[in-house]
Amino acid sequence: MNEMQVKDEIRLIQEMIERTRKITAGSWMFFLVWGIVIILGVVGMYALVFIEKFSWIWLNWIVFVTIGVAFSIIYGKKYEKQQGARTYPYIATAHACYACGMGFILTGFVFPLLKLYSWGLIAVFISLIAGILAFTLGGIYEWNLLKWCGVIWWLGAIGMIFIHENYRALFFIPLILIGYIMPALVLRSMYHKQSEEDAS
Amino acid sequence: MPPEKFAQLDPVIHSRIRLAVLSILISVKEASFNYLKETIGTTDGNLSASLTKLEEAGYISVNKTFKEKKPLTTCRISEKGKKAFSVYLKALETYVSFKK
Repeated sequence: MNEMQVKDEIRLIQEMIERTRKITAGSWMFFLVWGIVIILGVVGMYALVFIEKFSWIWLNWIVFVTIGVAFSIIYGKKYEKQQGARTYPYIATAHACYACGMGFILTGFVFPLLKLYSWGLIAVFISLIAGILAFTLGGIYEWNLLKWCGVIWWLGAIGMIFIHENYRALFFIPLILIGYIMPALVLRSMYHKQSEEDAS
Repeated sequence: MPPEKFAQLDPVIHSRIRLAVLSILISVKEASFNYLKETIGTTDGNLSASLTKLEEAGYISVNKTFKEKKPLTTCRISEKGKKAFSVYLKALETYVSFKK
């Protein structure tokens, strides 16, 4: 075996491993959809406050969260089938999302309904968990931008403490634009770039 | 070091398609036949023959099932396969570091 053949084999191994990373970048749709769902939820909530239908706020969130969960299940299955392979980062991502999803449900619905704390703290806890999710995914993808998004969520959680509780949820909109929509768009462009490279 | 002193490359892995299959399976939990075929860019026949060799050597496990009435073949690397791949990589590294 000569040097050229050895280098060729090493190149082949690197290339094949690199191609499996494309699956990770393809998960941009989850970020985008959840970002839009939460923004619509916030807008819906303030619209209900404006028309003084306070008791419907829970229903508003249940509807939007159900839409997000239904999308995640349906698209997740379709996405997995389309990809044809389950990478370890993909499995870790799915588990981080399940764990934080459970955190969102408990801190956003169950605990406040059990009156463990005031509804005004929901936005703070949600930002805290959103930060954990973004930071963890940044670690899994080895992507510093997402880790910084996690830090921004945590700073947002701290910042919310100094805002009147009636306006805390409004803070979600800039946080989601920076912490979810922006990484979704970057991942989307990475995915398309990888697809174009594969095609050429 | 004379070339004959280098670790012998595993003949089961020492083929372009079989090496590509193991390189993919080392980075994923499992992969379907179609995914492997498209990622490597090979034919059904060549991939099938390569998978049979790797399976016979105990380096991968091949699972044939049906999903939505369509046949689905998925492959996973075994512990033996992971060790063999690691030994193969070390052998390549030895060669490269000797050349340097």
